[in-house]
Amino acid sequence: MKIARKRKGKASIPTASTADIAFLLIVFFMSTTKFDVKEGIKLVLPAMAPDSAEGKAETIQLGEDKMTRLQILEDGTIILNKEAARRIEDAELDAIIQQKLRQNQDMIFRVITDRNAKYDDMIRVVDRLKAQKAEKISLSTN
Amino acid sequence: MAKINRTRDRDIEIPQGSMGDIAFLLLLFFMVTTVFVQEKQFWVERDRWPKAQSIERIPRNNTATIYVMKNETILIDDVPSKIESEEDVYVRNALTAKKAENPEIVVCFRTDRETKYGAMSDVMRQLQDAQTLVVAFEAQQRD
Repeated sequence: MKIARKRKGKASIPTASTADIAFLLIVFFMSTTKFDVKEGIKLVLPAMAPDSAEGKAETIQLGEDKMTRLQILEDGTIILNKEAARRIEDAELDAIIQQKLRQNQDMIFRVITDRNAKYDDMIRVVDRLKAQKAEKISLSTN
Repeated sequence: MAKINRTRDRDIEIPQGSMGDIAFLLLLFFMVTTVFVQEKQFWVERDRWPKAQSIERIPRNNTATIYVMKNETILIDDVPSKIESEEDVYVRNALTAKKAENPEIVVCFRTDRETKYGAMSDVMRQLQDAQTLVVAFEAQQRD
């Protein structure tokens, strides 16, 4: 009996679209790559006064019209200038800062944080100041 | 009158057969040159950072990271230390060296939000001594 032999067809894998696939891969990686950046509140510390070691540093007194004191206590309450210590929520803090900035565009905000106060409380105040575009922020401790 | 010979239009074709090879070469190049940033240990987890709204983005290549843990241990380059007294100038020396390497250095604090401010104050005092004045307090974006 004669067996019908199948005719061998030419087998080939189409390679014309490899370039498209490779470019798609490149585009995918380009669009999903995230460059590593750090995110945080940036601040420039004041330079040490050159002769502060000898106690010659000049001190100037600033009134409430030029400087606002924000003293953060151990329990997170805040003394604003000479007021009594109390808890100030974000919205109120924003309003106070805005009002102070309206009074004086160059208002200096002095954030005095107690050594035992939480870092979080200090960041909260500095964040509010930054959010309200206050530029002159000074950090100190007692 | 001279007869101008017109050149015959030829079929011009750019060979595209090697396009795939070029694309794969590009892909390989990026795969080989990509460097993943690796930190030996993440001393203060991200969810322990304070939350803030007015966050700026700081490119990583000019930064030095200082971790301050809740127990007031300070880590620079994974070396732990503690500021016990005024004479302890480890932070100052470490940062002076970094400043000499890169004058535009930004010191990033990764501090646990429960840390007492005193530890941060001591570190910042030494940063002033080392003349590294640009600092950033790393924080999570608040919703």
